[in-house]
Amino acid sequence: MKPIVVAKNLTKSYTKGLRALDNVSLTVNQGKVLVVMGPSGSGKSTLIRTFNGLENFDRGELNILGIKVDSTHDERKIQKIRRRVGMVFQQFNLFPHLSILENITLAPVHVQKRRQADAEEYAMYLLNQMGIDSHAKKYPSQLSGGEQQRVAIARALALKPELLLFDEPTSALDPERINEVLDAMRRLARQGMTMVVVTHEIGFAKDVSDQVLFMDSGKVIETSPPNIFFSNAKHERSRKFLNQLDKQ
Amino acid sequence: MLKLYTISSTISFKNARKTLFSNSFNTIITLLIILFISVACFNTFEWLIFKANWKVVISNLPLYAFGSFPANEQWRPATWIISLLSLSIFTLWGPEWKWLRKNLLIVWVGTIPLGLYLLYGGLGLSPIMSRQWGGLTLTILLTVCSSLLSLPIGIVLALCRQSSLPMVQKLSSIFIDVMRAIPLIAVLFFGQLLIPLFLPVEIEIDRVWRAIFAFTLFVSAYIAEDIRGGLQSIPNTQIEAANSLGLNQYQIIQYILIPQALRIALPALTNQSIGLFQNTSLMAILGLVELLGIGRSILANPEFIGQYIEVYVWLACVYWIVCTIMAVLARHLEQRMTINQANF
Repeated sequence: MKPIVVAKNLTKSYTKGLRALDNVSLTVNQGKVLVVMGPSGSGKSTLIRTFNGLENFDRGELNILGIKVDSTHDERKIQKIRRRVGMVFQQFNLFPHLSILENITLAPVHVQKRRQADAEEYAMYLLNQMGIDSHAKKYPSQLSGGEQQRVAIARALALKPELLLFDEPTSALDPERINEVLDAMRRLARQGMTMVVVTHEIGFAKDVSDQVLFMDSGKVIETSPPNIFFSNAKHERSRKFLNQLDKQ
Repeated sequence: MLKLYTISSTISFKNARKTLFSNSFNTIITLLIILFISVACFNTFEWLIFKANWKVVISNLPLYAFGSFPANEQWRPATWIISLLSLSIFTLWGPEWKWLRKNLLIVWVGTIPLGLYLLYGGLGLSPIMSRQWGGLTLTILLTVCSSLLSLPIGIVLALCRQSSLPMVQKLSSIFIDVMRAIPLIAVLFFGQLLIPLFLPVEIEIDRVWRAIFAFTLFVSAYIAEDIRGGLQSIPNTQIEAANSLGLNQYQIIQYILIPQALRIALPALTNQSIGLFQNTSLMAILGLVELLGIGRSILANPEFIGQYIEVYVWLACVYWIVCTIMAVLARHLEQRMTINQANF
């Protein structure tokens, strides 16, 4: 088992005393899916944003794909990580001035220096996989939220990443659009992609994840396989959170 | 919902009766206004057709267009102006050839070296000194060259003002603020009168280029502020997305920030270039015989003395026509950009 993400005692505080991350340690092995859950403000977004250097941390150590980073936030190492790690955001964050195809080929052409024609061919293959190849020439604003999020997944996949990070990928979608995105993510998981997913989708977590990590106020409360977490959570705080989710 | 009172609702007769003649007071006011407008129109047309002596305009048309450019070479600036005009018409109503549409910007930029070559001469054309340039040709040349030069400088200044390096940030802020605090005429005076004093005697920049540099300095400060506004309205999440794709800082500026900022700033940039076109007339006071300068020198001719109104009405029409063309082109560009991405 090759570890892809190893975090040791990550700690970050925005203001004195208030900790966004409090001694977080975790491991994600190759081909595994880790689902991160927790109430809002619990630090789950902050946690996965440290994995590709969008957030810095104050103490601890991070090893992504064998590249070690610490609190000095070495730009060169972070660039190296970003070339091998894809990220999908809650608000899609597509580039509005570029067509769908250009959105996807931008990084392969300019970061990996691939030929335009090759990048486009691979982009069309990815769009086909996502079931939206007919939209290739359109612009993001002409697509629905679910379609935009699938474009964002294709954009993250275009660099052939070894790890995919999802930051609440379905939270900004209409309820009837959520499944098309989750289905795409399920397919990726089946194909053996290593993923870290911040989400509140219990169904997805039950089906797909190998581990569920529950956080509250920056601390890891528990890490369990999904069958245990959802039926018989070890910790009182997790059970309370799951009850709240059920009620919604 | 906000409801604007539109002219179209008062234009039909029924509405006119209801709104314009609803009571005796309104009727009197309406009649007075109609009387005033008709008298004004009548006098204007009477003056335009019968009283005005248009000889001052008609017999001097080549002067207005080309200044004192040698008569047998005037086909050169004429070719340039006609090529600009036909390019405008083509841009607005031309056929949708894909390869040409894609390269239209390059063609537009290419008109500048073409114009300079036609005016300066050399390479087969007899060389002509810049002091013989004038009229509408010079006005357009000043506008086009200054706006093309000030756009990249404005972009760089805007980026520098956002920079995290304190020295760079301070210097560009100071430049922008100073330029915006000085009246344009002072900058132009500086360009015409003081630059030659600072430069060693051997180096001589001709007056047209000194004017272009002065305009560029001034306008680029304003353009920088317009573009900074565009940059600031781009959400930070765009930069995060680009970062997470591994793009470096320069690639983010080039592919993500500048295209979006330019699109947002486009209406303001149009405004700047129309303003610049009109401001070139200030050079008439500083001795360049551009469109207004030619008008003044024609008025100084004893044959046409005192015919101010004819000349200035004519000049106003020419300025108005060129500004309208510029505005229509800019609106066309804006529409093209919004078709690309509705609801940007």
